This record gives sequence, C-alpha cells and structure tokens, in this order.
Amino acid sequence: MNSIVVKNLTKKFGDFTAVNNISFEVKKGEVFGFLGANGAGKTTAMKILCGLLKPTFGEAYIAGYNAFTEGKKIRENIGYMSQRFSLYEDMKVWENIELFGTIYKVKKSILKERIKRVIQRLNMQSYADELVGSLPLGQKQKLAFATALIHEPKIVFLDEPTSGVDPIVRREFWELIYETAAKDVTVFTTTHYMDEAEYCNRICIMAEGSVQLIGNPEELKRRMRVNNMDELFCKFVKR
Amino acid sequence: MKGFRAILIKEFQHIFRDRKTLAMVFVIPVVMIILFGYAISNEIKNTKIAILNHAHDPLSYTLIEKVTSTNYFQNIKFLHGNHEIEEIFREGKVRLVLVIPDRFEQSFYKEKNATVQLVADASDLNNTVTLVNYMQTIVSDFQAEQNVLLPNMQPFQINVKMEYNPEMKSVYMFVPGNIAMVMVIVTALMASITLSREKESGSMRMLTITPIRPIFVILGKILPYMIISFFSAIVILLMAVFIFQMPINGGIALLLLICLIFMLTAASFGILVSTFAPSQQVAMIATMMGLFMPTMLLSGFIFPIENMPWILRVFSNIVPSTWFIIAIKDVMIKGAGFVGILKPFLILILLNIVLITITLQRISKK
Amino acid sequence: MLKIARISKSFKKVEALKDVTFEVENGEIFGVVGPDGAGKTTLFNILVTLINPDKGSASINGFNIDKDYKKIREVIGYLPGQFSLYPDLSCYENLDFFATLYGNSIEENYELIQPIWSQLEPFKDRRAGRLSGGMKQKLALCCALVHRPQVLFLDEPTTGVDPVSRREFWSILKEIKKEGITVLVSTPYMDEATLCDRVGLMQNGELLKIGSPENIVAEFSGLLFALRASEMYPLLEKFKNLSGNIHYYPFGQQLHIAVSHEADVGLLYDFVKEIGYGLLDLQQITPSIEDCFIQLMAY
Repeated sequence: MNSIVVKNLTKKFGDFTAVNNISFEVKKGEVFGFLGANGAGKTTAMKILCGLLKPTFGEAYIAGYNAFTEGKKIRENIGYMSQRFSLYEDMKVWENIELFGTIYKVKKSILKERIKRVIQRLNMQSYADELVGSLPLGQKQKLAFATALIHEPKIVFLDEPTSGVDPIVRREFWELIYETAAKDVTVFTTTHYMDEAEYCNRICIMAEGSVQLIGNPEELKRRMRVNNMDELFCKFVKR
Repeated sequence: MKGFRAILIKEFQHIFRDRKTLAMVFVIPVVMIILFGYAISNEIKNTKIAILNHAHDPLSYTLIEKVTSTNYFQNIKFLHGNHEIEEIFREGKVRLVLVIPDRFEQSFYKEKNATVQLVADASDLNNTVTLVNYMQTIVSDFQAEQNVLLPNMQPFQINVKMEYNPEMKSVYMFVPGNIAMVMVIVTALMASITLSREKESGSMRMLTITPIRPIFVILGKILPYMIISFFSAIVILLMAVFIFQMPINGGIALLLLICLIFMLTAASFGILVSTFAPSQQVAMIATMMGLFMPTMLLSGFIFPIENMPWILRVFSNIVPSTWFIIAIKDVMIKGAGFVGILKPFLILILLNIVLITITLQRISKK
Repeated sequence: MLKIARISKSFKKVEALKDVTFEVENGEIFGVVGPDGAGKTTLFNILVTLINPDKGSASINGFNIDKDYKKIREVIGYLPGQFSLYPDLSCYENLDFFATLYGNSIEENYELIQPIWSQLEPFKDRRAGRLSGGMKQKLALCCALVHRPQVLFLDEPTTGVDPVSRREFWSILKEIKKEGITVLVSTPYMDEATLCDRVGLMQNGELLKIGSPENIVAEFSGLLFALRASEMYPLLEKFKNLSGNIHYYPFGQQLHIAVSHEADVGLLYDFVKEIGYGLLDLQQITPSIEDCFIQLMAY
C-alpha cells in the first residue's frame, strides 16, 4: 500500500521548470528522506505534495487524493511541520495543541485525552502551562511534531525539523519519528544533516528539479562505492 | 568623510531604485496641494454671487458695474430684500452677497465713511474666504479709483459678515499645513523607516562594526530625505504662489529658515522612533501616531485649536507642527518679520533641542 | 591573538554566556561548535563589539573590546548569520560600499578576494537580492574581507546550506587561513569541527571543552562500539532492557554504544548475543566529535 504516488510530476513557473518529471512512491509507514541542494526544487515538490500548489502536469496521489483536484482533502489528511513556522510562541503549550486540534476538527472529548497523552509522552507535564516561547528549541521542535500529529494524519511532512537542535534532542526527535512510523504513519522529511539521512528507510536525492537517486541509504552507499552519505550526496549534486 | 559620502550615495541609490518610495516622496506634495488647492479654486470659478443694492444711486451702480465687469463672477443675481439672502444661501447656489447700504453715495461723498457689506456662507470656509478676499480686492480697487478723482477720501469700510461660521479662518491655512505634512512624511517617516530597515535586515550591525562613526551613518542616511523634503517645501510654495495666487508677504529667507528648523525636528523625531522600533512596521505606526496624526488633527491645520477641549489644547502646544504652522502663516500672510514670530520660533527651537538631546542619548548607547 | 577571559552575559532571565574563557592563536581556524541557543551568536556579538559583556573581558590583537573598540573595528571582518547586504544594490555596489567604509578601494586588497570574487564577476551588475543563496554568501564574504581584516568572524555561515555548498565554503576558509587571517567560525554541524584547527564545544552558554579535534577525540572517556542495525527502532526498544553504566544512541544506520568502564564490556557482549546479533556485528570504533559532544552533554 503506497501513501504517496508521484508519476512524471512537473511544475513550471513561466519558463522556469522547478520540478522536472519526477516519479517515486512512498510506502505506508515508511520514513522517507527528501534531500537536495538549496534550490533543487525540494520546496516546490513538498508544496505540491502538501496540497498547497497545483502541479503543471503528471500525476500525484497523496493518501489517495489527487494533487490536481483535491488539495483541500490532502491538507486535511496530512500533518506538516516546518523549522520556520510551527507554533505560536505567545501561547501556552496546551493552548497550542488545542488550537491545532480544533483547526483539524478533532472532537473535543477526544482532543482532551490526546493533549494529555502528548504532554505525558514528551515529559512536559511541568511545562504545560508555560508559553511556548520560553521552551528550549529542542522541546519546541518535539512539541511541534506532536502537534502536527494531533489529528492522527496518515502522512506527516517535516521540513528540516531538527535544524540547529543539539545532538541529544535530535536523537530523541528521531525516536519520536520511529515511534510514529511504527504506527503506520508515513514520515516524509527533508534534512541537511547527512547522518540523519541514514535514519531513513529510503532517501531521494534531488538536483536541478530532477530525482538523481532513490533507495535505501546503505544499499546506495554500497552501490555507489562511497564511505558515507556526505560523499554520496556530493557525488550527485555537483555544481 | 569618504565613508559619510558612501552612505549618502547609497541612500540615494535606495531611493531611486524603490519606485514606491520615490513616488511617495515626490508625488505626495503635489497631490496634496492639488487636492486641497484645486478643489477650492474650481469651486470659486463656478460660484455665483448676488448683489443686494439698497442705495440705487449712481455710485452704487458704478460699483456694481466694476464687479460685473471682472469676468471672474458670472451670472450675478440681484436681490430685492434682506430676506432673500438666507433663502439664496439655503439653495446653495450663492456663497457671497454684496450688500450696498442705503444712501451709499451720500455717505461716501458727504459723511466720508461709506460701508459695503459682504455676507458670506461660511459653511465651506476655505472656498468662501477666497471668495471674500477676491471681492475685497475688487472693492478696494474701486475705492482707489474713486480716490484718484477725490483725494483725501476716507477708506471704504468693508464689513464682512460670515454666516454659519462666524470665526473666520485663513484660506491659506492649507499651505503651511501641507508643508508640515510633507515634512513629516518625507523626513520623519522616511528617516524612521530607512533606519529601522537597516536594523531589521541586520545591515546596521555591519555598519556598526566598521570604523565609521554612528552619527555619520545616521546623518548620511537621513540627509537625502531632508534635501528632498526641503525641495518639496519649495515646490509647495511655488505652487501656492503661481497656481493659487497666494501672497508671500514676509521674507522668503525667514520662511525657508523656519522650514529648515521644522525639518530638523521631524528628522530627529524619526531617528528617535527608529532607536526604539524593532521593525519597519512599528517605526511607521509610531511615526504616524506620534507626529503625523497630531499634525493633521491637533496643529490647527484642519480643526481650529480654539474649539478643542482644554486637554487637547494643552497637547497641541507640544506638537511642533502647531508652532510651525503659526510661524509660516504669520510670515506669509501677515508679513511678519523675525521679531513677529519670535515666540513660535523659540518654542520650535526648544522642542528641537529637547528631541535632539534625547535622540543623541539614545544613539550613544551601544 | 584573541584572549577571552571569564565572559558572562545575561538577557532578562536567560544566561546566554556563563564564564567563558579561551584563547585563539594567530592564523588558526577556531570553531565554536554547538546547537542553537548555546550562546554562539552572543559570544560573537561581544567579540565584534556590538554588545558589552556583563562580566569579564576580551582582547583582540592586544586591543580591549571595551576601551579600544574603535581599533578593533578596523582589524576585524564580520559575516553575520543573517544575510545583511543591501538587496537593491548590485554586487559591485555592495562591495564598493564596504570597501569605502573602511577607507579602502576594491583594488587595494583585490588579490585576497579575487578567488571568490571571480565567481561573482559575471553577475557583478545583478542586484544582490536576486543572487542564489550560495552566491549571496560568497558576496557577503567578499564584503567582510575587502579591507583585509586580521581576524575574521563568521557566524554560522553554513547553517541551512546543503553539504556540497558547505564543502566549498570550507575550502574557501582554508584559503583565507593561508593569507594569515585568523578565522573564528561558529557552526551547529558537529562534523564541521574536524575541519577546524581547534574547537570549543558549546552548550547552554558554557564551553564544555576546548582543544584540537584530535585531542577532544582522544579524551573521550571509556570505549565506543558501533552495532549495525537494519531496523533501528526495534533495536532501540530491545536496548531499553540493558542495565549497567552503558549509553547508547543511534548514529546513522548504526547504534553507538559507549561503555564507561572496561568491566562492562563483557556485559555488552552478552547482551548483544542475547538479542540475536553476532559478535562481528559489534565493532569498537573511534569516536567522532559528535560522540564526544554527547558524552560531555549527557554523562
């Protein structure tokens, strides 16, 4: 069962082709890493997959919905977290979770239970009444991730979720990602940390709008005869 | 000094590359003066006047002929009694009635104190005052002609009666007010925006750690706006004189000196705002609330200060624009010299010193 | 030479720097490595004389950051974390502007910036705002170097930059070093520490460790093992049953296991066998800077 199916997907802005004929599939419950140089078309592709942008041509099904016609349905069935915007800094921890739960139409009685569970899972009982702005960065990012999952979406999109976070919290974050994937939620993530790329079940490297390479990190390293992800990446993303 | 020049040049580059700023800086003064000014002069051209002649003697007819012979007033209506004045005002077609009293000729030649009365609809003040001024000029001209024939004549008494708005305000209020507004927009607003933009984008940090002194950075950045706003003030004055026939009775140098001082006030206000404001938006709102709105509402530009509740009157005293407008008006209309405007001038200087001191203190903090 | 002695700085409730002391030799690349919020930017802001410390003192080439800040501003170059050039000026105009602010011309130090500038030259009339991210960064570097500073401060120049551009940027830094310029660079990427001559590992406003990357690695206490994992999550779950003074965490596709006392190694071997792995799957490895950082942070 595939939760994301992309076939010959292309997006043009005027003469400029941001995404050029890309195809891939992401299985249910898979952790999929989406890598690429700055300006490789990652952001545009992410926007299409999140139902925020209509493709020019090709096919794209996200959680079974068509990216051309069912953008709203897609947005209702996915979770999204970005390094730039995620939570309201001037609201309390539980208020943030409640807000996003309400936006995604989670029933009040269920929502209450889920807020409790999230706060417990993150060991944030003592922070629940604090403003999000006062939390350390790592805590914020973990909270943002949990909030993106509050409506139990089938797929969650993460845009550089661990940027600037310390190595320990990064690992805690990845533990959360594994936990989520174990519940059959598909995780689609971008990162600039190459060791994080290795945490993914499969990765896809983009350059100049096209998919350069796709597969399991270990296999790819072996096949391309490189020692680490950094070398692999640099081999395929040349200037 | 090379660094100062570099900043100056850079700021001009910013201005000329940003069409929005450019439009704001150059178009606003012209648009404002046209909006305020033309609205008035078009009205005048289409406004009719009426004449009520109680005298029916030869001199009164000579005066009427003088009035009708200017091609300024058309379709003059003749009234037959005082009761018709209010009626015709209510219809709204006539704004000014020239009333020639009974025994006009007799009082002119024998008693040597003739009176004519101008009754005006003052509900639209600016228009009406222009109209009144115009009529006064015609009547004075007429009197001068008569004086040539008969020397040592007592001057005419022109008795102006304002209906609906008895306190008369100067028609030319809008020119000093406009200069104030333009200086606030171009100098204060642009200074605060351009400085907080550097702060917001982080480039101010780059400038801070170069050897150039902060005061030169600031001066280099705002000098272009001061030059432009000074230029705008001159444009407004030229338009006022050549398009709207406004007199400049006082010294031009004095007028420009006052503009210069007010510009400094506006500039230091802008700088002060930018030292507090973390972003361009905040700087803009702060300047709008702190200087622009008071200039519009509290300086006497639009609403007469005398009619304000006492608390606002007190507040209007610390609005620099209030004193600027008074000084400019006195110089332009009354033809006041330096001594005549000493009070507003000194107050303006005092407000300036206070503002600049606070600003310098804020800047010198690291 | 930079001497930083017992610097502390607080903002409202937050203690951004706590008693930070270190020295940087002339002509070395010194890396300040740590996550966001470690205090890297605050430290740099103090050293480039943008803000004053609450306590402590620092000097750059003998000039005190408080008393001689004007002198310091003449000898340092600074590349802030945020793009801080003028987007509406062209590349050339930006460069010329900063050269003029230092009372120089571009020509005077042209040979220093030439290798970087030559890549920008084709776009020199393009407005800086329309450059790609990598090009913007290079332009900013040119502007920071145009007066030939003695010390160059780079605040997170590679954050959010892809690995290829990062590599390129570091090779440029090596060239700058060859010109005899001291380079202070901050980064959240642990793997970049090995590219510095010496590093300071920073966390929560404190310097956890200072030294050359080799020394820091050599001072790792205990032994480090790597266990190859095909499925990380189940493996992590299994390790939750492991007792003893043993720390483990995922590292790429491997599980890194740090054993503090040699006595515990046997315990680990037994456990690995018990959960169904062969002993060949477990290998002793040399720690990376990231392993050291984790050790310093957590245990």
